[in-house]
Amino acid sequence: MKSFSDHRLFLILIAGLIVFLIISCKKSDDPEPLPSGYEPTPYEIDIPFGFPTKLNIPEDNPMTVEGLELGRYLFYDGRISGRTHPDSMMSCATCHIQENSFECGINHPKYTGGYTFGVTGIPTHHVMLPLMNLVWNHTGYLWNGKVNPNNPDPKFRNIEDLVWMGIVAPHEMNSDTNKAKAVIQNTPGYPELFKKAFGSDQVTVKNMSKAIAQFIRTLISANSKFDKFMRGEVQLTGSELNGYVLFTTEEGADCFHCHGAAGNPLFTTHLYYNNGKDSVFNDPLDRYSITGDPNDKGAYKATTLRNIEYTAPYMHDGRFKTLEEVVEFYSHHLVWSPQIDPLMHHIANGGTQLTAQEKADLIAFIKTLRDEEFIANPEFSKPEKFPDE
Amino acid sequence: MKKLFPYLLIVVILLVLSSCKKESEESNDIEPTGKISLHFRHYVDGKDLVIDTLMYFNEAGNQYLINEIQYFISDLTLHRSNGKDILIRAWKDIHYIDTDLPSTHYWDIPDEIPAGVYDSISFIFGISQEKNQSFMFVNPPESFMFWPEYLGGGYHYMKLNGKWDNQDEIVEPFDFHLGIGQILDTAGQIVGFVHNDFKVGFPDLAFSISENQVLDFTLTMNIERWFKDPHLYDHDIWGGYIMQNQEAMKIASENGWNVFDMEVTK
Repeated sequence: MKSFSDHRLFLILIAGLIVFLIISCKKSDDPEPLPSGYEPTPYEIDIPFGFPTKLNIPEDNPMTVEGLELGRYLFYDGRISGRTHPDSMMSCATCHIQENSFECGINHPKYTGGYTFGVTGIPTHHVMLPLMNLVWNHTGYLWNGKVNPNNPDPKFRNIEDLVWMGIVAPHEMNSDTNKAKAVIQNTPGYPELFKKAFGSDQVTVKNMSKAIAQFIRTLISANSKFDKFMRGEVQLTGSELNGYVLFTTEEGADCFHCHGAAGNPLFTTHLYYNNGKDSVFNDPLDRYSITGDPNDKGAYKATTLRNIEYTAPYMHDGRFKTLEEVVEFYSHHLVWSPQIDPLMHHIANGGTQLTAQEKADLIAFIKTLRDEEFIANPEFSKPEKFPDE
Repeated sequence: MKKLFPYLLIVVILLVLSSCKKESEESNDIEPTGKISLHFRHYVDGKDLVIDTLMYFNEAGNQYLINEIQYFISDLTLHRSNGKDILIRAWKDIHYIDTDLPSTHYWDIPDEIPAGVYDSISFIFGISQEKNQSFMFVNPPESFMFWPEYLGGGYHYMKLNGKWDNQDEIVEPFDFHLGIGQILDTAGQIVGFVHNDFKVGFPDLAFSISENQVLDFTLTMNIERWFKDPHLYDHDIWGGYIMQNQEAMKIASENGWNVFDMEVTK
């Protein structure tokens, strides 16, 4: 009897010890328990070969399967503009078309030549930029970088902000947040999706923006012919290889300092340059309008060259309709100004002076950045049915 | 129970100690250490760099401005007379400095440095040959420094971008970029590469590190010296870009030996 008592006491002490250790060693930053019924599934971005590991995912909008599912519906749903039919005249996808790398493209039946305008008919100030690989953009959005993480105004800092800006802008959806929110709240199916994604069935514009931003962050293009070449899966043609050498050499076309290459597979620095298009600058929305630095007059974001074949017209004002025109410009028609970027070191000769064959080779290489899988990926396409269908 | 209790108490104490012990408490007989940090600054003619202003004249008489400077230093080494040199962070010692990014102007080095007297300090300007491998940086801003594989691969040691008033009186861009150079055959084909990284030493900079001290150094790049000693570097001769001009990069590398000043600031 005595030995049984000792044994029982021993077990009690051991159990107490385990509880003590668990309590005493528990980290103070363990996450708070989730609200009842709110159990979103974390979504992990699969980082492609050679791509950056640092992602632009805000702490207050972690990627979840439920969040991006909701975001995909909203991205394609015209009711986000405060109208009553899913195919009403404007959703994000009205202009951001998957077949054109989530850009308008030059072949749009309504936005002729790639020049977009809002439901009011007011044109957008600049031509569009594609929605692709933005999960690696830490620097800024729009041609002038107005939306950036260092903007003193917290309303203009990230992809989430671009979404609500698009909803209310007169040159885009021209809605108001109350109207948009009310329509989505009253659409069967959506409140349940908001509940799954954010823990509340109350629709808010903030959560609409978060969901769409999550979907946008999944729009990753990393399977072009060039990517396959870098992975050792295919070989480039002689012309494409020659174009790549021109792309990455100062004495060639010298594209790589601003537009990347294998070492920077984003094919952009997401930085801003005056690339020698003009000598007089009167655009009220150039980079200078953001920084106030006179040296930034006429400077704009270097766009990614991935899928550039799909995203004509080119430059902030869409002045070039074809890649051939762009290469011709950089080769022979650069314009000097005091603001010309120091990387434009061929300016004294008016350009890189490529021969006809070199221009053809350069374009052949640039077309290896076409990612056909991306523009046809069913995970990015319009859902077959909306939540209320 | 009375017999069992002391044993249980010992078990509890051992378990608690082993599971919650901090690393710093693991040993009482480690040698005393301190730390160092580096502050980077950029001067022209003895004064803080003023960017984007055509106000400087180099030794060749070129009027010029500086727009930005981005560069790596690596293999930071503290030298001791007993030969037991300290290589900072071994294979992780490559530091990126960017005049546009204030966060890169300070390098708080986490290494525990043995306390004691040191004779001098040195580093490699750029990235040493064995470490300068393509694709080792995937994140910006370091990844933006890549040097194309066709030209030798790895990374730029430095991008020093500016403009000069050229002989035709046009303010022309120059990209004074250093990295791996190319050896060409008579047909202009690349047949080899030259690693242009170089060692920068401060043999007269003796210092001592006390236990728990953080010793601050200031490393100053004197930009005008890239263009003057021992070789006169004339932008009108070398033009706006030199990544494919080993002769120009060689001159730049040889001028780099005394571009930097270093001092102990605390």
